[in-house]
Amino acid sequence: MNNVSRKVLAGVAMVAASVLVLSGCASKPGAGFIACGVSDEGSWTDKSFNESVMDGLMKAKEDLGVDVKDAESNSSEDFAPNLQSMIDAKCDVTFAVGFNLVDAVNTAAEANPEVNFVTIDGWSNGATNLKPVNYKMEESSYLAGYAAAYYSTSKVVGVYGGMQISAVTAFMDGFYYGAKAYEAETGTPVTVVGWNAVTQEGDFIGDFAPNNPAGKTIAAGQIAQGADVLVPIGGDQYGALSEAISEAGVDAKMIGVDKNWTVANPEYADMMLTSIEKRMTSAVFDIINAMVVDKTPFSGEAYVGTLANNGTDISVTEFIDADLTAKLAELKAGIIDGSINPLS
Amino acid sequence: MSKKVKALPAADSQANSVLREIMAGDPVRIGLSILLGFIIGGIFMIVFSEDVVDSWSNFGADPNYAFSAVWWSIQDGYGALFYGSIYNFNADDFISGIRPLTETLRFAAPLIMAGLGVALTFRVGLFNIGATGQIMVGLAGATFVSTRLELPQILHMLVAVLAAVLAAAVWGIIVGILKARFGAHEVIVTIMMNYVATALFTFFLREPAFLLEANGGGTPKSDKPADTARLGALLGESFNLHYGLIIAALSVVAYWWLMERSTFGFRFRMVGHNPTAAKAAGIKVENTFIWALAISAGFSGLAAANQGLSISGGLTTSIEAGIGFDAITVALLGGSRAGGVVLAGLLFGAFKAGASSMQVAGVSPEVLGVVKALIVLFIAAPPIIRAIYRLPKPGPKMIEAMQKAEKVSK
Repeated sequence: MNNVSRKVLAGVAMVAASVLVLSGCASKPGAGFIACGVSDEGSWTDKSFNESVMDGLMKAKEDLGVDVKDAESNSSEDFAPNLQSMIDAKCDVTFAVGFNLVDAVNTAAEANPEVNFVTIDGWSNGATNLKPVNYKMEESSYLAGYAAAYYSTSKVVGVYGGMQISAVTAFMDGFYYGAKAYEAETGTPVTVVGWNAVTQEGDFIGDFAPNNPAGKTIAAGQIAQGADVLVPIGGDQYGALSEAISEAGVDAKMIGVDKNWTVANPEYADMMLTSIEKRMTSAVFDIINAMVVDKTPFSGEAYVGTLANNGTDISVTEFIDADLTAKLAELKAGIIDGSINPLS
Repeated sequence: MSKKVKALPAADSQANSVLREIMAGDPVRIGLSILLGFIIGGIFMIVFSEDVVDSWSNFGADPNYAFSAVWWSIQDGYGALFYGSIYNFNADDFISGIRPLTETLRFAAPLIMAGLGVALTFRVGLFNIGATGQIMVGLAGATFVSTRLELPQILHMLVAVLAAVLAAAVWGIIVGILKARFGAHEVIVTIMMNYVATALFTFFLREPAFLLEANGGGTPKSDKPADTARLGALLGESFNLHYGLIIAALSVVAYWWLMERSTFGFRFRMVGHNPTAAKAAGIKVENTFIWALAISAGFSGLAAANQGLSISGGLTTSIEAGIGFDAITVALLGGSRAGGVVLAGLLFGAFKAGASSMQVAGVSPEVLGVVKALIVLFIAAPPIIRAIYRLPKPGPKMIEAMQKAEKVSK
């Protein structure tokens, strides 16, 4: 068989296969719809927000049958070319993950008004084809702060961040005021180490590299100051944090961020007091679902995840007892109806 | 000359002759290394393709499909590399079709500039891995000028480029002095200086007095470069390609003239061939080291200017984008010659430009990393390539012939 006929055969086989694949998908509403994602610096398996977005895309692929294309960014130099590849691939919607991509995605959205973009944790400079997805993380972090103060025996709780940016300090502010709410209510003094929401000063690792040794040093310092509930706001720092806890020989708990760590990483389950969930997976799925199933026209209107719309919340674990559960429900209702301000 | 010439220790050790063979890089061996890198990269694509895994696990159901899946996985992967880096046949018009090629040129420019810098030190017999650090301090210099000074159009850009070159050159001179005066090994010093430079640049980015953006949230990030300092678009606004390419072209010419035509370059090459003989001939070897490292760092500074003055937003340390390390590979691959560095820079630029298309086509970006690493590995271990392709070992006769050919080519 010569080379040409082999190629033709291969082509025929491919066409036959794709017909099979396509007919298999025809029953699903998302056939032919291309949903795309460009990651922030770091991989799709960062156990944090990149991964949450990828989970949302994968859920859309499974449930709706959409086609998923993705590109990881290794440095800020990759942002624009990766977005351009998505434009060239004729994506119906492209999710740009992370605050670092905000300049690149705004530029791309303005240059390509017919292409739809979503910026996770970023903002839009006004383009109607760019939808920002933001979260009021202070709301759920407030609950976590209260829970931490309630659970703590030393009444010292620790928090530290990846970098001092608003996406991180929103967690830290809410956590701080939540812990202080416990103090105000019970009269028991609660010390928050690593962040002061009033002066906006605290402990930061410097980047979001997983299990950064600098984070372990910070955690060890906070444990030395008596902290027995610690929350790192910076992706996957739990390997380093759990090491710091076991090296100090104390019985301290951690609080997960972005997703439910108790479920996602059972190896940490017995150390996880709770997790402050930023439910990006559902935001991504909901946005695709709205376009594919409800045929809602895409708009630049922001999606804001709150306690009220279940975009964010804290996870239920065995460590949260009945009294605390009742109290948290009360606080949650207060935040939703506006009687409690999580930033004071 | 009555003064006894002391043999320089690095002159004729066995390790040094191997290093020289690696750094001299003969084109056939390099070409074969690239070919082998691509072949093994293709194997990775086949093995990790979902289609291939699926079709081979149901081989009995459709053997033809199983074989065609193998072919298609490679065609999709390297096809994506082609249309992501050279020409996109799926594009609606010529402008967007040719965009990938302009992207390759854009990514190649800084690799070529920094690659020339590393190549220069290779020719002097120095294994310089400090391009990363030199780019970092160069970025600090360029960004300070581009965000903190107000100057007229063009002049502002030139001053910013000059600042990058000078800042980087200072970084190179420090290494040169440490080597020439105190005998510190340049490999260790340049590695350490990379860390110092990265930390220093981050520090500058955090400090409001230096580079921190004026109205930001405190993230270590600079303001965007002033429009007067920016490297403008070379082919109009539909392309990202900017004047950095012109700077790269000029630096290639400058490198060629410096190394092949000037007395300075002659001294560099002489020290590179045999520092003891060069010393006996009256060349101040120590000073040559300092000059070589300074000029080499200057080329890296140009790469820094290219990075720092071409972006539309504020910059962070990740703007360095691994150019400093890729530059070493580019210099090795290019055999430290001007033309070779250009070709190697274009290849690596194409890798960078095509990487996102490959990802969209479902190939892991790591495959390109493997291809790159394998190419370096094969170049760095000449006997492997000779064994695989059954090439003859270069004996004295062959070396003589190569030297003759070299003379003729000059």
